Amino acid sequence: MAVPAPDRAFLFEKGRVSMDVNERIKALEEKLIEALKKVEDHNDLQQTKAEFLGKKAEISQIMKHMKDLPEEERPAFGKAINEGKQRFSELIERKREEIRRRELDQKLKQERIDVTLDAPDYTPGSVHIIHRIVEEIEDLFIGMGYRIEEGPEIETDEYNFERLNIPKDHPARDMQDTLYIDGERLLRTHTSPVQVRTMLRYGGGEPVKIICPGAVYRRDDDDATHSHQFYQIEGLVVDEHTTMSDLKGTLLRVAREMFGSDREIRLRPSYFPFTEPSVEVDVTCANCDGDGCGVCKQSGYIEILGAGMVNNAVLRMSGYDPERYQGFAFGLGIERIAMLRYGIEDIRHFYVNDLRFNRQFT
Amino acid sequence: MKVSLTWLNNYVSLKGIKPEELSQAITLRSQEVEDLSPLVDIEEGVTIGEVTGCRPHEEAEKLSVCTVDTGEKKRTIVCGADNVAEGQKVVVALPGAVLAGGMEIRETTIRGVHSEGMICSLSELGIDEKYHQEEGIHVLDPAAPIGSDALEYLAFNDTVLELDLTPNRADLLSMHGVAYEVAAIFGRNLSIPDPELITSEQANTVEIETQTEGCQSYYGRVLEEATIGPSPRWMQARLIAAGIRPINNIVDVTNYVMLETGQPLHAFDYDALRSDRIVVRDAREGESFVTLDEEARTLKAGDVLITDGERPIALGGVMGGLDTEVTSSTRSILLEAATFDPARIRRTSSRLDLKSESSMRFERGVDPQKTRYALDRAAALIAIYASAAVRDGVQNVDRHARGPRDVTLSLNTLNKVLGSNYEAPAVRDVFNRLRFPYDEEDEVFTVHVPSRRQDVNTYQDLIEEVGRLMDYNALPDTLPTTLSIGGLSSRQKLRRHLRRTLSGLGLFETMTYSLRDVSRIDDLTLENGKPVELSKPLSREHHALVRTPLHGMVDVAAYNRARKQESIHLFEIGKQYTSEAERERLGLLMSGPYHHHRWRPTPPTDFFTLKGVIEALRQALNLPRFHYEAITLENYHPHQTARIYCKGKSIGHIGKLHPEYVEPQGLEDVYVAELDIESLEALQQEDYTYAPVSPYPGVRRDIALLVDDDVPAEALKDSLASVMPDRLQSSHVFDVYTGEKIEAGKKSIAIRLTLADPEGTLRSEDVDALIAEGVEALSREHGAQQR
Repeated sequence: MAVPAPDRAFLFEKGRVSMDVNERIKALEEKLIEALKKVEDHNDLQQTKAEFLGKKAEISQIMKHMKDLPEEERPAFGKAINEGKQRFSELIERKREEIRRRELDQKLKQERIDVTLDAPDYTPGSVHIIHRIVEEIEDLFIGMGYRIEEGPEIETDEYNFERLNIPKDHPARDMQDTLYIDGERLLRTHTSPVQVRTMLRYGGGEPVKIICPGAVYRRDDDDATHSHQFYQIEGLVVDEHTTMSDLKGTLLRVAREMFGSDREIRLRPSYFPFTEPSVEVDVTCANCDGDGCGVCKQSGYIEILGAGMVNNAVLRMSGYDPERYQGFAFGLGIERIAMLRYGIEDIRHFYVNDLRFNRQFT
Repeated sequence: MKVSLTWLNNYVSLKGIKPEELSQAITLRSQEVEDLSPLVDIEEGVTIGEVTGCRPHEEAEKLSVCTVDTGEKKRTIVCGADNVAEGQKVVVALPGAVLAGGMEIRETTIRGVHSEGMICSLSELGIDEKYHQEEGIHVLDPAAPIGSDALEYLAFNDTVLELDLTPNRADLLSMHGVAYEVAAIFGRNLSIPDPELITSEQANTVEIETQTEGCQSYYGRVLEEATIGPSPRWMQARLIAAGIRPINNIVDVTNYVMLETGQPLHAFDYDALRSDRIVVRDAREGESFVTLDEEARTLKAGDVLITDGERPIALGGVMGGLDTEVTSSTRSILLEAATFDPARIRRTSSRLDLKSESSMRFERGVDPQKTRYALDRAAALIAIYASAAVRDGVQNVDRHARGPRDVTLSLNTLNKVLGSNYEAPAVRDVFNRLRFPYDEEDEVFTVHVPSRRQDVNTYQDLIEEVGRLMDYNALPDTLPTTLSIGGLSSRQKLRRHLRRTLSGLGLFETMTYSLRDVSRIDDLTLENGKPVELSKPLSREHHALVRTPLHGMVDVAAYNRARKQESIHLFEIGKQYTSEAERERLGLLMSGPYHHHRWRPTPPTDFFTLKGVIEALRQALNLPRFHYEAITLENYHPHQTARIYCKGKSIGHIGKLHPEYVEPQGLEDVYVAELDIESLEALQQEDYTYAPVSPYPGVRRDIALLVDDDVPAEALKDSLASVMPDRLQSSHVFDVYTGEKIEAGKKSIAIRLTLADPEGTLRSEDVDALIAEGVEALSREHGAQQR
């Protein structure tokens, strides 16, 4: 027989084989722990695994001696070996997880971003501020049970003026210098013709409760405060018991919706051929709270709309019997509302559509 | 109307009312007060002095060194005016005075001479040059008392209230009318004296004849031996306060009495008349007449002419004639007080663009009861201030109907309209303050409306009188009790839907002018047509009504591009205006990066970007499939433009704008589309339709085809859909290739099909059969070869 391998010698030198096996495995385990410390990656780990658990690994060699042992010692021997292998595997798998985690961390590190970089432009566009305000007012009135009526911008003298109690050669025509297309047709100077058309359609037999938004036109040179085209909303309520106090209460709600719940309004006598009595309505200046400042020209109030009780002549021409029906009407310019509300200094901004302007109302 | 408070105080006492209170009360109960300011913005330190010595300044040719006696001392004042002379009474601003415009007067040394004040011109006192034609210092009359307040002497110590009058209140174009109003507001007494006229033995012999309905009344008086000169200082000051330039005592009196009564007057040089007659007639078409502003006017048949029987002497109610104007040599005067048809005056003055103080009053209607009063008042004043003798008698023609205008208002109606709870005593008080006589029975008021208030004709007008004088702000705040259901129409809902969807997709809504340059009106439209033009355009840019919102949107794009905006994505709900109709159109415009990534690549914005937006909109609106058919359209890219169809109906177009069209505007790569909103509304499905979702997964197959280059992808997909209508879930082109590996005139196109059977899983052989059938159809219908 050749010189025995050291392990064999070891095994047989000591009489108590199983004891020796445990110590041997313990030594191997410490060796493995040392070896694993040097393992850098999965390759190294694979080699170390082969070295400590492979067919040629020491622990596998020790296993071969089991057949040489007495029958009664075999179970203890086998158990020691298996438990050793189990621990080795655990050590190696723990290392594998450590490497995987480290490699993933490495990979994620590569994916580091500058979170402050700009996002792509998925930003929404915007609804034009004038239409936004129109919708706000529409919603206020829909909530109070109004319908929204519309009509043509190319109107006739009859609907724009005559049926509104403004006959030809009436001085009130100066109040609304008109863009004519021909002798009869014109660009409407207000949305009042929609009210006339609506009343005629209703036929004089039922109450009317409407608002009429739309573009209107006047012969004006465009400057910071004048525009030949602007947007108007008019309102009309006709019923058997519609009062001027109803008008006042309604306009107070409009003013507060537009300018804030702490606003107050003030009615001043005025004149429109289609209403009698007629008033102009001021709202307390939001800038100074009514104390007087540059914005309100020291008056504490800013004019926002015109209104009144529908003139009987208009009711009659629209098929409503003034003996039975009475009503109120009002009209406001949306650009003016927007200018006051946001401090916009030039009415032309609304029609130029500089995106740097429009974007502010996204 | 500019109201001198000193003048107003003659008729109604303003004692105890601060000007600001007056202004506030008038604003809340009558008319808007536009301005309240002193006639002359100088507080103190302007006195009357006498120039007792005047010698040239030794070191300055243009200056004089004056000795001025201002009562308390003799001052040395250096003066630069040419007209300063010894013996003059002048206006002296003493050191410490602050003149109009903020100039503070100080003792100062001018070229070595110590000067203790300033001799003032009218302009330096703040009297605008439109009210005087004086060069140099203002010279007072010799009677001016040395050392007294110059502003008081000149009657410039006044406050002016400017009313922004509404056109119905013709009565407030007179001081009398304003006095009635203020008396009513404050419940004060009113005193308007009758004219005191002394006439001569000589009789007024003028014959007056009116041949036209355009003249409703004509009153004439004759005055003789008048001395033409300046009017008294107080009258001049009041005219200036009212915004009228003093001229001479005759003209000033006519203007003064017009301001006082609201009745315009005219003074003719009586000796310049060719006969002793006044004939008022309609002008003849084309007749020419020289008005006193030295303009030759061409008249029309509706104009009213005052003639002396031989030739025209005045354009009735508008302006007098040059030939019969009162001049410094005038001795005899024919004074006219007349009334004219308001509508005719308005037509004449607006046609000739000749708005005068007189036409303004006639247009709004003057009080016929004031005509005779005004004539007598003016005659009396001329008698005093031009030492004229007034001939006895008034010649007149008067067609005005007289008699009270009765308007009835019940307390019940008043409260029913106002929503108020006013009681009879309050209403009585208002009518009393207004000086409206009335009868009352069972709380029904029959008001006898005075002729000065021509605007009060109906019970609604009376409600206004009560409402405003009680203050509208005293009314309660209530809401209409009318029960009704509010809501949006389907069009209104659609518009809101469009706005929300498109802004959500990153587009900005624009609002552009409807009036544009007529020569470009059809630049971007599918069909040309006759534009709707203004008869008198505002300007070349605002001339005709647009036929597409795209027109304005391209300008918006150019404006923003010029301001370095990269991404320009716009929409507008505009109109196509034609003679027959106004159709709402949705305009879309895209140019520049969409969903821009900036620091990493962004796909270029092209036709398909905009098409994608349209398709997103289509789905959001729940509309059926759109078809795109290549077309050519002027100003558009000849190979990147399409008409859009839905259910076989043309609903709009999409395309790239031609480079030659956009480059001159500083733009490139602009994509636009227009959709007809009425069509979209009609195509909208009323509600969603539901179909159960197949529990079976679809099968995906790709096919690659070689087809002629001009075969549209949509046609291939349509053919596939018609072969396997129940099975084809979706088909998408995922690759298109032309180039070296493909024969010329052909393209390779790859389509991914998703097939499914709602009843079960499709077997592979069924799929193969379907695909084979599809390929066969593509080959047959489009000459496609499978690759």
